[in-house]
Amino acid sequence: MKMSPALLIVGALMVFWASTFIIVGLPAMTMKETPSAIWRPMAEDEREGHRLYVQNGCSYCHSLFIRINDWDIGAERIAESGDYVAQEPAILGSERTGPDLSQEGGEHPDDWHKAHFINPRFTSPISVMPSWEFLGEEKIRKLTAYVQALGWKQADVRVARQQHWKKSAVVAYEAGADANITWLHSQVPAVWRPMPNPYPATQAALLRGKRIYQEFCVNCHGPIGDGKGPAAAWVYPPPLNFTTLRRHLEANRYIGGIFYYQIMNGITGTGMPYFKKHLESEKIWDLANYLAVSFLGYTDANIEPRGIDASYEEDWRNPYHPPAKGGD
Amino acid sequence: MPKFFDKPQSASLAFMVAGAFWFVVGALYGMVSAIHLVSPEFFSNIPWLVFGRERPVHVNTMLYGFAGTMLIGSGLYYIPALLRTKLWSERLAWVSFFLWNITIASGPLCFAFGFTQGREYSEYVWSADIILILSVLLLVYNTAMTIASRTEEQLYVSVWYFMAAFLWTAGNYPLGNVIWHPATGAMPGLIDSLFLWFWGHNLPGLLITPLATGAAYFVIPRAAKMPLNSHTLSLLGFWLLIALYSHIGGHHVLQSPIPNWLKAVSIVDSVAMVVPVSIVVLNLWLTARRQGKAVWGDPAARLVMAGIAWYIVTCIQGPLQSLPYLQRVTHFNNWTIGHAHIAMLGFGGYIALGAMYHVLPLVTGRSLYSQKLVSLQFGLITFGLTGFFIVLTMAGLIQGNAWNNGETVYRVLPELAPYYISRAALGISILTGASVGFYNVVMTVLAGRELSIAELQQGEEAA
Ligand code: HEC
Ligand code: HEC
Ligand code: HEM
Repeated sequence: MKMSPALLIVGALMVFWASTFIIVGLPAMTMKETPSAIWRPMAEDEREGHRLYVQNGCSYCHSLFIRINDWDIGAERIAESGDYVAQEPAILGSERTGPDLSQEGGEHPDDWHKAHFINPRFTSPISVMPSWEFLGEEKIRKLTAYVQALGWKQADVRVARQQHWKKSAVVAYEAGADANITWLHSQVPAVWRPMPNPYPATQAALLRGKRIYQEFCVNCHGPIGDGKGPAAAWVYPPPLNFTTLRRHLEANRYIGGIFYYQIMNGITGTGMPYFKKHLESEKIWDLANYLAVSFLGYTDANIEPRGIDASYEEDWRNPYHPPAKGGD
Repeated sequence: MPKFFDKPQSASLAFMVAGAFWFVVGALYGMVSAIHLVSPEFFSNIPWLVFGRERPVHVNTMLYGFAGTMLIGSGLYYIPALLRTKLWSERLAWVSFFLWNITIASGPLCFAFGFTQGREYSEYVWSADIILILSVLLLVYNTAMTIASRTEEQLYVSVWYFMAAFLWTAGNYPLGNVIWHPATGAMPGLIDSLFLWFWGHNLPGLLITPLATGAAYFVIPRAAKMPLNSHTLSLLGFWLLIALYSHIGGHHVLQSPIPNWLKAVSIVDSVAMVVPVSIVVLNLWLTARRQGKAVWGDPAARLVMAGIAWYIVTCIQGPLQSLPYLQRVTHFNNWTIGHAHIAMLGFGGYIALGAMYHVLPLVTGRSLYSQKLVSLQFGLITFGLTGFFIVLTMAGLIQGNAWNNGETVYRVLPELAPYYISRAALGISILTGASVGFYNVVMTVLAGRELSIAELQQGEEAA
């Protein structure tokens, strides 16, 4: 075969347009824009937030669809084509430097997002997300409206839950430090409260706890646990001051189970996120021991009720004494 | 001044110098992006230098600005040379030059201030899209007219690739950029991802690949002083490329809820891409067979050969990562970034550089300012890119496997730090390489030793 100009030009165009017909023509003719069960239209603010998402290149670090093998945020629902109706553009994303955001709505209350957008390190100390403070308050509000809508009807349910509990948390906080803690602990299921930390508070465990604290908690609760990290200026109620917990031990002895439950589940409505997707059981218990020893000067690790020691454990006896009745 | 724009091959030279310049600009933006992934508080809160805005400047400047521009430059030389005629219109080529570079300059000028359509590889704003399409149409016209006014009967394979690259792009680019929706440049709903990745895949596949393949087909036989191994193989490679490559954009959104038949097509044809790629690579390697010393000893041809080597690696990786089972781990993370770099810089960029250094003396009538600097650039970029490929692939496997085992994105971040740091350090090597290259090009134009007529004729005739 000899390549003539006509063959080159006509042939190259014909093959190209035939492929184009198959790859974009057929889908354009057959794919239907049918809303999925969770879809809803975007409100004006959300739409403007979406523009900001596109203009600022959030999509280079965040994806907007969940796959069957995902475990992170949103993994409870696999993406469907009807989730994207009328979005223009629906940028699916090709990179997860940060987590998928397709179900981000209601994961956190608005004040968490505000702190996070102003400086992501405030809420997430090792984040590599850029600060967006330069966008200004109004744009950050719209961006927040958009991310709070992600997940559509499912997000609306979560956002309503955040708002519901925010009210109670604010009332409790404004009633004073002790009343607040009493309220917080009253939300922890009764079986968890009198539960000691089953992990020995060895030197190694405390070091592990410290490392996790610095990667996840330090910019809210502060390096000395007084709740005065840089995020405190933005989240309300502010992060808890752990040092006051000394006077709130359950039965004047127990704190491990409360810590475990609060860290695992978070306190919906406040800035306090849940950590059960990030951290497995041992890591949370190590954290609980670290908080207790560093900021309360007491841990309930390994005290009664306890069963047979696990095979790897040393013969560790708890050297800490509970505070005298009433704290200090 | 008009004289200036009529000077034979002046547009070719302009494209190549601009390509060398954009390489430096792209590398600078890449460098800052890499630093931001290590230390987000470095240059923090500067609106025009925030990761989400600087990354598209980096990517577009490298693809269109460096690889694309430089490859067009060498093409504007070899097309008339292979057809034994002059470029049909030098002035028209200059118009293409200005239009093309306006679009590229719109990257740093617009994205940095939030003017972007935000879809990967289709970010340029609507007016820049139109300008780029005009530039491409003019290139189509100019090339077609040059072919029409040829004195050489046979159309050499490089001519097909160059001509076809623009024919395809003229249809491809407007479609993928949804230019009939000027405000967003996008379709509503999920189908947009098909339009997007149709172009997103064809930009490397049907613009950069044919331009680079055409340039390699030009340089290798000349450097080896051997005729092309097989005409039939080049025909097969050409037609299979367009028949298969245009079907596989779906592999970029393989795990999203696009229709299953599209996934099947994109996987099957991705794997089938092994065939055209092997054909091209074999044809070129066989042409250079037993001429290894001549080819690898010539700094320009060495870059082209190394580009082909990167092409092989890219195209072994490509079909593998389009397999759904493997893509569960390799998608969404630095693995893909590793692939994209060996493809764009390794394959497209190396061949662009090699072809440019090969053509530059013929266009300027001056010998290269320094062969040593070409070798130095080769060394710097090869060190940087090999390192990139290793660390990004490792980081990608760590991310992908950790996520697949249930660890969250946030928890894996600290494990990535050493790789991000290495990548930034290696970036310095590539940035230095880009700068050395630009310096060498500028010095060649300004101060290269003028070649005698005899030397020039010898150079041009090697074909
Ligand atoms: C450099 C990459 C990068 C860019 C650009 C980026 N992010 Fe992030 N983002 C991250 C990382 C990493 C995390 C996880 C750590 C954290 O919480 O900050 C994250 C977390 C988030 C979260 C919290 C997810 C959660 O619930 O834990 C939201 C919401 C978010 N980003 C929104 C955005 C928006 C909106 C933009 C654009 C204005 C953006 N991001 C740009 C990297 C990025
Ligand atoms: C974004 C800020 C933020 C981060 C990050 C954060 N917290 Fe909190 N934390 C809070 C807030 C706010 C409260 C509750 C304040 C209130 O309602 O009074 C809280 C409450 C708690 C409580 C409840 C104590 C009790 O006695 O009920 C525990 C325990 C706790 N945090 C531990 C942690 C640990 C451990 C981490 C890191 C893994 C962490 N927090 C990270 C903001 C944060
Ligand atoms: C020949 C066979 C090739 C195949 C089958 C192939 C396949 C793929 C696949 C499957 C992906 C997506 C990976 C993912 O997101 O998980 C990808 C990404 C990419 N490929 Fe290739 N590839 C090939 C060659 C090339 C060449 C030659 C180039 C450039 C000249 C190239 C440039 C890119 C780029 C830039 C990306 C990144 C896209 C992004 O930003 O997500 N590829 N390739």
